Amino acid sequence: MKVKVRELFFSYPNFTLKVKDLNFESSKITSIVGPNGAGKSTFLKCLCMINTGWKGAVLINGEDLYGMKGSKRAQIIGYVPQEQNLIFNFSIIDFVLMGRTPYLNLLSKPSKKDLEMAEEALKFVGIKDYKGRGILELSSGERRLVLIARTIVQEPEILLMDEPTSFLDPKHEIEIMELIKSLSAKMGKTVILTLHNLDLAIKYSDNLVFMKEGDIVGSGRTQEVLSEEILEKVYDIKMKIVEINGHRVILR
Amino acid sequence: MNGKSNKRIKIGFLLIIILPVLVSIISLLIGSYPISFKDVLKTFLSIFSSAGLKEIPEVYRDIILKIRLPRIILALTVGASLSVSGASLQALFRNPLVNEYILGISSGAAFGASLSIVFFGKGFPVELASFIFAFIAFYSVLFIAKGTGSDVISLLLTGVIVTAFFTSLLTMVEFLANPYSLQSLFFWLMGSFSLAGWKEVLYSLPFMFIGMTFLFLYRWKMNVLSLGDEEAKALGLNVKLEKLLIMIATTIATSSAISATGIIGWVGLIIPHISRMIFGVDNRKVIPASAFIGATFLLLADDFSRGITSFEIPVGIFTSIIGIPFFIYFLKKSGKLWA
Repeated sequence: MKVKVRELFFSYPNFTLKVKDLNFESSKITSIVGPNGAGKSTFLKCLCMINTGWKGAVLINGEDLYGMKGSKRAQIIGYVPQEQNLIFNFSIIDFVLMGRTPYLNLLSKPSKKDLEMAEEALKFVGIKDYKGRGILELSSGERRLVLIARTIVQEPEILLMDEPTSFLDPKHEIEIMELIKSLSAKMGKTVILTLHNLDLAIKYSDNLVFMKEGDIVGSGRTQEVLSEEILEKVYDIKMKIVEINGHRVILR
Repeated sequence: MNGKSNKRIKIGFLLIIILPVLVSIISLLIGSYPISFKDVLKTFLSIFSSAGLKEIPEVYRDIILKIRLPRIILALTVGASLSVSGASLQALFRNPLVNEYILGISSGAAFGASLSIVFFGKGFPVELASFIFAFIAFYSVLFIAKGTGSDVISLLLTGVIVTAFFTSLLTMVEFLANPYSLQSLFFWLMGSFSLAGWKEVLYSLPFMFIGMTFLFLYRWKMNVLSLGDEEAKALGLNVKLEKLLIMIATTIATSSAISATGIIGWVGLIIPHISRMIFGVDNRKVIPASAFIGATFLLLADDFSRGITSFEIPVGIFTSIIGIPFFIYFLKKSGKLWA
């Protein structure tokens, strides 16, 4: 699904997000990068209506996001948060099943088919044996996998992920990014994520969006938009791009 | 589910469904005037057939059908109602320590009911006055807490302040009440089923059922809401609306219970904890389990309150005496159920 953002303005005290014109390609991975406080997470939360009250338009295959009913929107857009403040120790399978919420009405409850979908999603992310364990008993990396499984069960065409690799060691960073790659390649999902790790962003993203102080500084295909100039402009430090074994790597 | 086998859960549910039935039968037998099981059975049969009616003393029919039966029904539904409300509020506010008392609902309801009892008489329904002031108190807590950061501590502290405010208003009503109404008001406030009759059942039971049915239907959404506002929104819920509806339903269930029996503390706090200990944190199980366990608990507490001494001790005192040690025990044991 194509996502078009037109003249989006959102502000809170001491910060304004301004996105004049931005398109996200269907079935591709787009990483939004930029320094802390650039507005990456705020932008992502506008795209899934966690942040409301913004001006402008977000069009999903031509349909206005603001006019969509909550359940319909959640069937199209899935969101994986950066941090969770969980209170109750739900079992993994119950937690993943919550991804079916947009498809349930007041009188219905998750069916056997929903349960099978949840088990399948846990298998896809590689933790099917965890289904009876409590969510609070998992590590950050494992919890991230459970969140992704819940979003798979939600069956959205568009996946928004806020810092999916934060607090993870290099091995788990790669595992999560490979999983995201397969969500786009095998399932055809349009993935929009925010990332701090530039090397991962370059390696796994089809497109990059650079943000600074609430503005879009640059966007386009990774190979075309990435340059030492734009990195310096966004991060205010000099960085060098070198090629090692055919991969572009950033030296700081 | 938290790893607990389906079989264990099914057996658990079977037990908690049977328990209130068993306790109800025992409750019909005990009291200051003990009646045998055989006579209780005969009394019930006499409703459907006049044969053998002469064998049943009129006083048995009065005690069982006019005093004990409505009292048992009221104790069961009030216990279920307070427990389901407590479990719902804990999911809604993502805090296992909140209950209708801490959030000011009980004190608001008690003030509204006492106002109606002392000043309005039959002119204004106790249930309605109770609901209005319960909702005002509840909404005041949320409104004031929002302005101070809306975190758990703010919520609890604001609850204490609003409860203190409505308790002061209640004291004023007591001060202004005439000696006759003051005595019944004082006993009612301590939480008691001594005045329970069919009238109380008729006036409060439908409202308790409306509130509980709504909360039962919302048990899945409560799971989602308990993840936090952002995740609930991302999963398609209209968070503000769903929360408001749950607040109204809990206020209806709680205020109608309080208007019938006075303030009965601890039930809404300890029963949901016990339910989670047995069945895990999934509200699809916690809500119905709280209803059955809460009903049994309050009926047992009422049996003790009227059975162990020659005079009747208000059940609210009993729930506190039983509830607090239980709560301490479960608090120490259930660390893995919440963060």
